[in-house]
Amino acid sequence: METVPVPPAKASTVRVRIWDRPTRLFHWLIVVLIGLAWWTAQIGQMQWHKRLGYGIAGLLLFRLYWGLAGGSTARFSSFLKGPVTVARYAAGLFRRPSDIGPPGHNPMGGWSVAALLAVMGTVVGLGLFTVDVDGEESGPFADRISFDAGRVAAHWHHLLFNGLLALIGVHLFAIAFYAVVKRHNLLGAMITGQGRAGQGSQDVRPAGIWRLGVGMVLAAVFAVALGKGFKV
Amino acid sequence: MNRMILGAIAALALAGFAGASSAEQNPAAVAQARHEHFKQIGGAAKNISDQLKSGKPVVSEVQMYAKRLDDLAPQLPSWFPAGTGPDAGIKTHAKADVWTKPGEFKTDAAAFAVEAHKLNVAALSGDIAAVGAQMTAVGKTCKTCHTTFREKDD
Repeated sequence: METVPVPPAKASTVRVRIWDRPTRLFHWLIVVLIGLAWWTAQIGQMQWHKRLGYGIAGLLLFRLYWGLAGGSTARFSSFLKGPVTVARYAAGLFRRPSDIGPPGHNPMGGWSVAALLAVMGTVVGLGLFTVDVDGEESGPFADRISFDAGRVAAHWHHLLFNGLLALIGVHLFAIAFYAVVKRHNLLGAMITGQGRAGQGSQDVRPAGIWRLGVGMVLAAVFAVALGKGFKV
Repeated sequence: MNRMILGAIAALALAGFAGASSAEQNPAAVAQARHEHFKQIGGAAKNISDQLKSGKPVVSEVQMYAKRLDDLAPQLPSWFPAGTGPDAGIKTHAKADVWTKPGEFKTDAAAFAVEAHKLNVAALSGDIAAVGAQMTAVGKTCKTCHTTFREKDD
């Protein structure tokens, strides 16, 4: 009996829950807060700019915590891969048909997220020491340094924000690339939490509600303490 | 007599010429000195802000820096002699408008001097709440002038 040659298998995928709710909420909150922080700086609303900065700092702390204690796909250990894995993934990036892997960040995207978090943290950190040109407005830690040093902090605060914009550009470009070239909708997953993943993939293992509570309290206390310059 | 008058006029003209040319010959040095002056203003304002933010301001510190602002503010227009703008090819954040709109520039500078003086008076009274309110007024005059006459940082 002659066997009919099997047509090349289309990469099969399953629809699973990829991102837990806190990770998605973090993502969209930080998008809004960074937009508002930029805008308030443009129009010179420094009181609001600073409050937004404390909020962003709180969110970042939450994300670091969630990277250790959160849902499975939010954890650093699940998405920060070694150079060999990253290089292999990069080499296979243009292979068709699409080779959708396990749910979560791919090996390149994981480091992109790490870079975004690091740069956002540095921009906020510099902002805490920033002094405006008139010496009138300043971050909560600026009283620990000189006017000149505060102006240097302001310069880097601004410069690294441009660096952040560049990283956001790369982030958006990658999402568009996956949507158009690889026919893989990443945006939808960050909104609904669900999306396609490789055959045999499991739903995200969410973290318990008490872990979320701890993270939210940590973030809130941190943001408020920053606003007070860690003074009682 | 005539010779004396002529001599005096010549001496005055020479002195005037020398005075003018020293600024024109070294606009970079003038701009640098100007920059240092503005850093003193910014530093003094920051020191007062720091004191106000600390929750337990040291009145003598506030008074020292308020006096410094009051001393420096009236001098401000003199830091902008002709030929020390961006056209001179030097490093400066001063816009050419400083020299093309001298009336508006002087008005803005005068407003700063008035508010800085009020700050000094408030500081001398020891009324920290009044100093805080007056710092806002001073800051507004900084911003008004900087918006029109200072190039934004890059």
